[in-house]
Amino acid sequence: MARSGRTSSNNQSRPTFKNQSFSKRKSSAATAVSGYAKRHERKAAKSAGRFEDVYEYAPEKVRRSKIALDFDRDEEMGAGPLGNGGEDDMEDLRMKARLIGENEEDEKIDSEDDEELDSDAAFDDDDDERFAGFFTKKVLKKKASKQVSVTFADVDLNEEEDAEPKESERDNGDTDNEDGEESGEDDEFINVLDILDGRGEPLNDEDNDTPLASFQENSVSAQGGDEEMEDSANEDDEEDDKELDDEDEAEEDDRISISLSEAEDEADGALDDLQTFISSLDPTSSGSRKRKADGEEPEHSRKRRVIKERTEAGVESEFRTQSAGLSLNDLLLPLGQSSLEKSVKVLQSQSGGNATSAGKKKKPQTLSVPLPQRTQERLDREAAYEQTKEEVDKWSATMKRISEADHLSFPLQAQPQGKVSNLELAAKFKPSTALETTISSLLSSANLATDASVLDTEENILKTNAISVEDVAERRRELRQMRELMFRAEIKAKRVKKIKSKVYRRLKRKEKEAVDRNDDGSEEELTEERRLKVEMERARERATLKHKNTGKWAKKMMSRGGYGEGVDDDDIRGGREEIEEMLSRGEKLRRKIQGKGSDDDDSQSENEDDGEDDSGAGVESAFNELRALSKTDADPLESEGKKGKSVFEMKFMKDAMARKQADTSRIVDDFVKEMGGDEGHFSDGEVGSTQDDPDSGVIVSRTGGRMVLQPTAKGSEHPTRTFSVASEETSSSTLKSTDFPTPTPPSPLISISEKHSSRPALSQPFFSNTTLSTSASVNPWLVPSSSSGAGKSGPKKKNEIVVDKDSSQTTKSKHKLKKQNKKTEEEKARVKDDAVVEIELENVLAAPNVSKGQEEAPTTSAVTASKNKSKRKGKAQISDEDSVSNDSEVEEQEKMLRMKGKKAKATKAFEQRELVARAFAGDNVVKEFEEAKRREIAMDAPTEVDTTLPGWGSWGGNGVRKGAPKPHLIKKIAGIDPKSRADYNKAHVIISEKRDKKASKYLVPDLPYPYTSKAQFDRRMQQPLGPEWNTRVGFQRGTLPKVVKKMGTVIDPLDKLS
Amino acid sequence: MVKISVLQHDLSSHTATRPGDPTPVSRNLNPLVHPFSRARERTRALNAAKMDRMFAKPFVGALEGHVDAVEVLAKQGDSISTVASGSWDGGIIVHNLSQRIQMAQLPQGHKGKVTGLSLVGDSRLLSCGVDCNVKLWKIGSDEPVNVFPGKYAFNSIDHQRSSSIFATASTLVQIWDETKSAPISNLTFPTSTETISSVRFNLSESSILASVGSDRTFTLYDIRTGKAERRVVMQMRANALSWSPTFPTNILLASEDHNLYTFDIRRLDAPSLIYKGHVAAVMSCDWSPTGTEFVSGGWDRTVRIWQTGQGHSPEVYHTKRMQRVTSTLFTTDARFVLSGSDDGNVRIWKGKASERLGIVTARERAAVEYRSSLVDRWKMDKEVGKVVRTRHLPKPVYTANKLKNTMLESKRVKEERRRKHTRAGESKPKPERKKVVLVEQT
Repeated sequence: MARSGRTSSNNQSRPTFKNQSFSKRKSSAATAVSGYAKRHERKAAKSAGRFEDVYEYAPEKVRRSKIALDFDRDEEMGAGPLGNGGEDDMEDLRMKARLIGENEEDEKIDSEDDEELDSDAAFDDDDDERFAGFFTKKVLKKKASKQVSVTFADVDLNEEEDAEPKESERDNGDTDNEDGEESGEDDEFINVLDILDGRGEPLNDEDNDTPLASFQENSVSAQGGDEEMEDSANEDDEEDDKELDDEDEAEEDDRISISLSEAEDEADGALDDLQTFISSLDPTSSGSRKRKADGEEPEHSRKRRVIKERTEAGVESEFRTQSAGLSLNDLLLPLGQSSLEKSVKVLQSQSGGNATSAGKKKKPQTLSVPLPQRTQERLDREAAYEQTKEEVDKWSATMKRISEADHLSFPLQAQPQGKVSNLELAAKFKPSTALETTISSLLSSANLATDASVLDTEENILKTNAISVEDVAERRRELRQMRELMFRAEIKAKRVKKIKSKVYRRLKRKEKEAVDRNDDGSEEELTEERRLKVEMERARERATLKHKNTGKWAKKMMSRGGYGEGVDDDDIRGGREEIEEMLSRGEKLRRKIQGKGSDDDDSQSENEDDGEDDSGAGVESAFNELRALSKTDADPLESEGKKGKSVFEMKFMKDAMARKQADTSRIVDDFVKEMGGDEGHFSDGEVGSTQDDPDSGVIVSRTGGRMVLQPTAKGSEHPTRTFSVASEETSSSTLKSTDFPTPTPPSPLISISEKHSSRPALSQPFFSNTTLSTSASVNPWLVPSSSSGAGKSGPKKKNEIVVDKDSSQTTKSKHKLKKQNKKTEEEKARVKDDAVVEIELENVLAAPNVSKGQEEAPTTSAVTASKNKSKRKGKAQISDEDSVSNDSEVEEQEKMLRMKGKKAKATKAFEQRELVARAFAGDNVVKEFEEAKRREIAMDAPTEVDTTLPGWGSWGGNGVRKGAPKPHLIKKIAGIDPKSRADYNKAHVIISEKRDKKASKYLVPDLPYPYTSKAQFDRRMQQPLGPEWNTRVGFQRGTLPKVVKKMGTVIDPLDKLS
Repeated sequence: MVKISVLQHDLSSHTATRPGDPTPVSRNLNPLVHPFSRARERTRALNAAKMDRMFAKPFVGALEGHVDAVEVLAKQGDSISTVASGSWDGGIIVHNLSQRIQMAQLPQGHKGKVTGLSLVGDSRLLSCGVDCNVKLWKIGSDEPVNVFPGKYAFNSIDHQRSSSIFATASTLVQIWDETKSAPISNLTFPTSTETISSVRFNLSESSILASVGSDRTFTLYDIRTGKAERRVVMQMRANALSWSPTFPTNILLASEDHNLYTFDIRRLDAPSLIYKGHVAAVMSCDWSPTGTEFVSGGWDRTVRIWQTGQGHSPEVYHTKRMQRVTSTLFTTDARFVLSGSDDGNVRIWKGKASERLGIVTARERAAVEYRSSLVDRWKMDKEVGKVVRTRHLPKPVYTANKLKNTMLESKRVKEERRRKHTRAGESKPKPERKKVVLVEQT
């Protein structure tokens, strides 16, 4: 068993050795690893029975010493004559070794003996570094010839290499030389051997076709000259020739195995082989002779002679006398404890592995020379380190996980809790409490305590529960009958359900109700419950505030009242009362909602629908009052204006009056607005804004309000405001109810007016009808559009006329009539327009808003007021009135404008550009900006302040020249250099250089460590941590510490989980 | 029937469901309605940092009993409270931390100083000394159970966690079995002639062990391969070493050059991090069982607690009477730190200086956690950072630190000048990490 294990490892490990020899040592670490691993494995396998790994070290030492002794002698033998250079001695020695191996093979050494010897122990020993080169070479040649070359690469024999690399290098050089010499010898030796062998029996020539050969050549050439090269080449050729017929050029290992197998197979022929070998070992044998014949006497041949002395002894010894009855046993005896034996074993086992070639007897090869102790150890260490690394590297995933974890909860590895199976628990269970004991006693008494007993009891029960056949049949019959009945009922229900007849349903329902009632009547003992139910229903009824007698409860009560069955009289009465009460309350509530006293007549409630008129009666009267007041307010102002000088004529009094007036008017406006509705009648401006024909039901509303861009005087602003609001409101109100009294004339357009136009009129006075449109031309930008619209089409076109879709035929016809009327009016207006002088509107700057004077307001308002009073009058009449009043107004306006126009001298025409320039006169924006920037820069710039106090630190008086200010008195205020400003050379911006001290607290100069980007940092800082800004869970999560330890628990280091 | 919808307040939505529960609070979490949250948090962070300093009272107590300086401390793997200490006079005391009693007192445990201690199992103690003996004690008895004689004075001892194997350090590392009187294996780097000062088993990979020696070396062994696998020679020698409990590849060395180094044993050409802070040689070090921090004791009479991965500004513990700290230890629950010093006392410190001992309510804990996370978040702030960083140091340490800084600075300046006056690109600045390891021997 052990043997086979070892063989396999040997097979694998050898090539690695070889490789090592060719590659650089440093780079060979990787291969060394595998080699080492295998060897190690082998060791482990071998020592498994006896030792643990830990112990491995000690036994080796013992063995090593033994080996050292063995080979000390050898070495002495070899080293002594080395200088003398006996040519054949070396060969002989090697031969002897090999022969011994062979013999051993034949003898079949016990496996026990073999086990005791460890080839590695033999060849990897530490102590014999001194003779390592020799020893290893010799031994390994005995082992297998393919290892021969190993030593020649760049074997480092020096032990102190790590500490003193230089020295070691030197040593290396030396040893290299030596090695080279030796290698030459080996080369020769092997070749000779091969030749010899080949002649005797063409066998064991690994060297010729292996890389070793070339390497040897190299080494030889490095050492000697070209001769050797040629020599070896020749030899190779020769060998090749000899071998070509016998054997393919296969791998060394194969060859070895083949040869060995053959050797084993033909153990009988071993003696013959031996004899041939012995003959070949003769110094005058063919190899050397041949070389002599070739005329080449290389340098190394002399060296071979050196060893010859030693081999001679061998030659003299047993082999010579073998023919005279020396057995292999005799040969092996002295080698019994040596490491050679083991190598022989190895060869044997290899041979056991594969036997292929036929008829050829292959001699076991010499083993390659092992590395020097030091080197070997270093390689081993490296390999071991690699292994350890691999081992610890298995933790890397775990470590990564730990290091990347946001939170660690210790202990990391939960204690492996033994899983307890149910069976285990059940087996261990012992009743402890009283309840458990009673239950268990009960169970046991019932014979159900254990599974087995439960099974028994169940079986017993089953036995006792046996039923007769008749019973079963009976039961089945019953069941079948039941099923049949159920099925039929189901069918019937389905059929009934399908009936769609309403009559049927009604009858059904009534039937059901009747049944219910009967039930009610019959179950007198359940009255309490029913009452409760009834109460509940009533509560629900009340809650819905549906105080009608349509509710469920009410109906029930009614019905009950009607029938009076099964309920006492009190209940019935109470029910009736309650219903009545409920109804009356409902009535009350309704009234309350409609805003009437409970004592109002029913007649009043009839008028509820058109209640707006009635309710608005009081308001109407208030409005009337207001109108009257405003009239009276306006009058005094006018009258006073005409009077001579008085206190009230003085300016400040006038102003005060005006102010007061404005206030009051504002109050009035507010009031009007508040009350809503018909302030349109009240305010003077917007009489015509909404035209409404109450009869026709056609709504004519004017959209597109007027734009007044010119700022108006304080007093006049309010009418504008009221107008806009009022118009909206009136329109809305008209939409709501067509009854709303708006008896305003359709034709006249009365624009918003200023009471006293403060600006001089720059344009010709307008015709009153166009005032509205032209008033917009005050804005120079609007001139073209307004001119086109105003001059020709007139204001009417602006007013949209809306005929409702729902308005009836009659209304439409009425509307047509009205239109015709308007047309005639328009014609009139056009005639008037023609009379007026044409104005180039493009050249006009603005039109004063002199559509209507304040003084006109009362009159119109009065008119409208009167109209309000007389509702629903003839339309034609109204229109007539309006036209009359309008004419008078227009004339008045014209007059006034003309007067003003004279005052304002001649009208000036302005260019557009000029206008713009004028509009933005004094806007030196760029200049101002530059100035501001300069100021800013100057403010921030560093300054020097001379703090010299006159009369201090200098002489005073007349004639004293003022010296330069002393430097220590010049206070320098650090500022920002204009050139270092952020807005330097940026003309259009001012970038403030002021630092916000408070904000600077929250700024960081650099990105703090764990963050990788500004955005990340910002985002992190944006989200506060505290409980005020987070949910409870978010807070807990955000503040969870990185390491959480469990109090009072031992935290074990990471361990491999088994 | 009309459905009635009533304004309804579910009681459970605004009351605690159980007595201990917090009252549900509904807040507007819209950040726009909290414009000052950042300012408030910063103020809180500052206050938290200050409070942390205010409550920093790390000293818990001293364990007396030794006549001479305490040389070595050892903790028991599976117990929180059992700690052994060995002294220069050969005395060994086993302390119980929670009860502050001496579980065992061996006044003459060894002749000469006790150099190594290791608590094994639940009640055994291994000790070694300069008297060339390793002794196995049973806690409670005065006579050793077993004595393992050696050839050389032992400097350190460490027991494997889960077997009967232990290692000693003398001129070589020896592996022993408790049941065998002779060492079962000798581990040494071939050319080594040094004295091994400390040896420790890896906590997770129990076959790996490491040692530091007087030859400025750090050596890695594996008892499976039976080899000293690699040796690192450094600028200065290391006094102690400790394996990380959570990172099996990491090892911590307490160096004579005032620094601590962590090495990854997979890459030994340079330390993975340098921990600078001590102003004298670091005499001892020990990882916290969590692996996130470790403690070191120095010749500068301070004990420092470091966060893994943060090579500067450790927590510094010192007292007036504490002399050179020769040994330090983290307890197995990672809450306390022990230090043994030249003055013969074993001192107990809190692992976190401002931690409150005793029962902490959930609210308090939440507040503490909030504070610590606030400080952590705002430590980049100037003020907060200053409070967090600043530590009061004894004057000698402070001046030594200043002096050291001056020296380092002048060295740096000199180096810079030298570089400036050499040919461009000829001498490149060498990273500090690369300077540590002189050679990595295979």
